[in-house]
Amino acid sequence: MQIDVVEKGAFQYALVQLDSGEEFISESAAMFRCSANIDIDVTTKSKGKGGLLGGLKRMVGGENFFFSTYSTNDGRSGEVGIAPTLPGEIKVIDLDGSMKWICTGGSYLASTPGLEVDTKFQGFKGFFTGEAPVFVEVSGEGELLVTAFGRIAEMNVPPGGLTVDTGHVVAYESTLKYEIGKAGSSWIQSFLAGEGLVIHFSGQGKILTQSHNPSGFGKSLGPMLPPR
Amino acid sequence: MQHRILCSPSYSLLEVALEAGESIVSEAGAMAWMSANMQTKTSTRGGMLAGLKRKMLSGESFFQNTYAPEGGKGLIGLTSGSPGDIVAYELDQGELFLEKGAYLASQEGVKCDTKYDGLKGLLNEGMFVLRCTGTGMMFFNAYGDIAEVDVDGEYIVDNGYAVAWEPSLSWKITKGKKIRSFLFSDQLLCRFSGTGKLWVQSRSPRTMSNWVYQYRPVKNNN
Repeated sequence: MQIDVVEKGAFQYALVQLDSGEEFISESAAMFRCSANIDIDVTTKSKGKGGLLGGLKRMVGGENFFFSTYSTNDGRSGEVGIAPTLPGEIKVIDLDGSMKWICTGGSYLASTPGLEVDTKFQGFKGFFTGEAPVFVEVSGEGELLVTAFGRIAEMNVPPGGLTVDTGHVVAYESTLKYEIGKAGSSWIQSFLAGEGLVIHFSGQGKILTQSHNPSGFGKSLGPMLPPR
Repeated sequence: MQHRILCSPSYSLLEVALEAGESIVSEAGAMAWMSANMQTKTSTRGGMLAGLKRKMLSGESFFQNTYAPEGGKGLIGLTSGSPGDIVAYELDQGELFLEKGAYLASQEGVKCDTKYDGLKGLLNEGMFVLRCTGTGMMFFNAYGDIAEVDVDGEYIVDNGYAVAWEPSLSWKITKGKKIRSFLFSDQLLCRFSGTGKLWVQSRSPRTMSNWVYQYRPVKNNN
């Protein structure tokens, strides 16, 4: 299997070459092109965990209810093209089994079959992130594709911690701890600064952030549309 | 006529340099800027019926603009409403099919007409596609990146992602092979067959609209 992210511009997509017998998994409806020998199977399962409940939990997490699994059906190799909804970058994360990654706000795009894609309820504080209260947890060995609105920046959380606006988190290593907090020194100041809630990350690990906030963009377009 | 595609692929703009006596045709509203000596002629090109067909059936503009420089050279910048790529294609007594809304501009020797695509078109972007014939350069655009696919045999594109294809390719709507895929996912697919070039865009305007839909204000009934 070979995964290529076509990085020509702002509208990146992934092209995956599958050999006979190999499988690739994405959120459902992410496939936009494929060779004619590709079989698409739609299930609620990734490796191991899954079922109806898994699908429902993923929906709460802002993801799709279903996964699509791709394989070739004629003993030859084939290709699958995967595209997200929003303009932006795609990043491939290598997982070697020692580290889990957490994806927030619908950033999970696709993965190789060695990865387990599970949902993790964030508890009470999850409701205050402004994001979905369920995050997607990815573990195992393989490659994970995440998508973002705009540019993706990867950074190590510095010793003093890192504060990220709730709408700009893409994914992070599960060794990181987070707390919901305010951006300013007081709630009023925080509110006036237009920042509202932020996430304080601490511990050792990597975090991916996105340059643009999807729900911020949505909220700027929404009022211009006729009411539903 | 010289052309350059600037800021490709994300925010492409087509820059056309015209000599005296040359002209370029574009869909209405595509002009971003032009030199002051450029004369604009707005017409339905091919008559009222052709304009109506273009507008009603294939999602293009009723009027088309013809730009020609007066008294020397002229320069014009043309672009489409959505961010994305522009592809230049040369027709030599040839033919090219475009998806609804993909037409940007062409030389005068290129004719655009609508082609009825039967009921299979209804499931896709519309019942009609745009058929461009003749001789000259033409330019089409899409939302997102455009990739060229050399089809030899069969190739599958999700509903709404095909931008243009050569007439040597035929297409039909199919669904996912497994019935479960068809029921639970939006697997209405376009299956192209034959030998020829196909252009695919990397984002779907419809998917984007569906995403924005959740942010619409809720109607207040009081």
